[in-house]
Amino acid sequence: MAHLADGALRRIVDEPDANTGADARHYESCPECQARYKVVAGDAARISILLAAPDLKVDVASAFDRVRSAPAAQPRFGFRLPVMQPGRRPLALAFAATLAAVALLVTALASGDNIFSPKTITPVPVTMADLQSLSQLGAYGEVTWTTRPNLQIAANEAEAQSISGLTPPNVAKLPVGVSSTVTYAAMPKAEAVFTFSKDRAAAAAAQAGKSLPALPAGMDGAKLTVTIGPAVAAIYGNLNKPSTGSDLTQANLPQMIVAKSSAPVATSTQVSVKQLEDYILTMPGISPELVAAIKAIGDPSTTLPVPVPIEFGTATRVQVQGVDGVALGDNTGVGSGVIWIKNGVVYGVVGTIKQSDAIDVANHLT
Amino acid sequence: MATVRPDDEAFEALFTAEYARVAGIANRVLADPHEAEDVAQEVFIDFHRLHSAGAQYARAWLHRAAAHAALNRLRGARRRQRREVLSQAAEETSQSVDPQKQVEINEDRRRVRQALARMAPKPAAVLVLRASGLSYAEVGQALGVGTGQVGTLLRRAEITLRKEVGRGTPS
Repeated sequence: MAHLADGALRRIVDEPDANTGADARHYESCPECQARYKVVAGDAARISILLAAPDLKVDVASAFDRVRSAPAAQPRFGFRLPVMQPGRRPLALAFAATLAAVALLVTALASGDNIFSPKTITPVPVTMADLQSLSQLGAYGEVTWTTRPNLQIAANEAEAQSISGLTPPNVAKLPVGVSSTVTYAAMPKAEAVFTFSKDRAAAAAAQAGKSLPALPAGMDGAKLTVTIGPAVAAIYGNLNKPSTGSDLTQANLPQMIVAKSSAPVATSTQVSVKQLEDYILTMPGISPELVAAIKAIGDPSTTLPVPVPIEFGTATRVQVQGVDGVALGDNTGVGSGVIWIKNGVVYGVVGTIKQSDAIDVANHLT
Repeated sequence: MATVRPDDEAFEALFTAEYARVAGIANRVLADPHEAEDVAQEVFIDFHRLHSAGAQYARAWLHRAAAHAALNRLRGARRRQRREVLSQAAEETSQSVDPQKQVEINEDRRRVRQALARMAPKPAAVLVLRASGLSYAEVGQALGVGTGQVGTLLRRAEITLRKEVGRGTPS
């Protein structure tokens, strides 16, 4: 039999009972392995001395009080999926598009009853300048969360269902090359109220060195209530999960994410939605293409615009499970996805996969 | 009346069971009990914000997070500068107790921590976790590797650490 590996000898130093069977018999009769063991054990002892640390006496009860009284982290307007790396282009773009979608909700409010409840979906081309301009909207008022988004990594499928109240998506057949290792993430329903402020808007515009279009009457103090989720996602790939919630640099990019979420709902007060839409589309930096695309939406109260950054992404209308969907592609060919709404639920498949695979997964989702 | 959610109770139980060990892992890296407790508390806050205390991976997550968060602190430029100041202060304070021996201990600790900071995250973590008393199975779970691989990783990491400490020793 071959000699024991260094790793096996190292384990014998710490856990001699783990050396069993043929390995144990070999070791007992092999002077060479025994000599190597002495070297390994000597090194281990020296390292143990090197790694000595000062005594630590902890007061668990006091420490728990400090942790319990720590303020909750302030969530942003929108949320980050912990497994995403901002530096990776395809999902970073998808994330930017998601944020922009929330911003664009305000453009799609119905003029009649001021309720936006999408039933279908359409791509809207946006430029990076559009995204920057839309992102400034957050400075035009105050966001308060009545229920904060609480995205969690679930221990298993059942826990994901328990958190979200939604049945996690079940992929019938994985594309070639996608790992069957799956992690579930889930989020209960969250609700934010955005209150427009004339003073804040003026201050934000002044800071950006731009003049603000005249506010529609009644817009100061108008409230926009946006409900997102609940949502659940199956994340495929051998993830190296972040070691802490805030350190995303250690997360591997998932190969594929399949998500479903109750369609977002938005309601507004005080201001005509038509006025709101017109106002936002006159903001400095909004491209004529985006204005045209928004104006072309047939029924804004029931259509979810999916912003597609035209510098990087392409979008095509596709049929998914018998309804209209939007297939997203990246010009780099690195990532793709498809998004659709069916029965009041928004579904999405995105990943480092071919667009045809994404559509195939979507069509066979149960 | 305030209600206690089951997850809050589970979190308290997890905290009580694991806090000393998590702080111990951080202390093994930083050789600074006060800062180690800061790290341990940050790790638990992060965990509670994002995960269920009943999750099967909770302990493994905490152990790995403690090692990586402490190593990240060790690598921070600000941290290094502060450490040098603290080390000098510790030397000065300890000189009244046992001058020569304490100076040597402080110097050894500083060289080892600098060496750990130069190592890749995984080998550094395997050293720290094992030195903190985790079993091979626990180290494997924390780092996402099989128990049978831990011995190999540990042996390689020990060789690397010795080299790194040697690099940092003035000739």
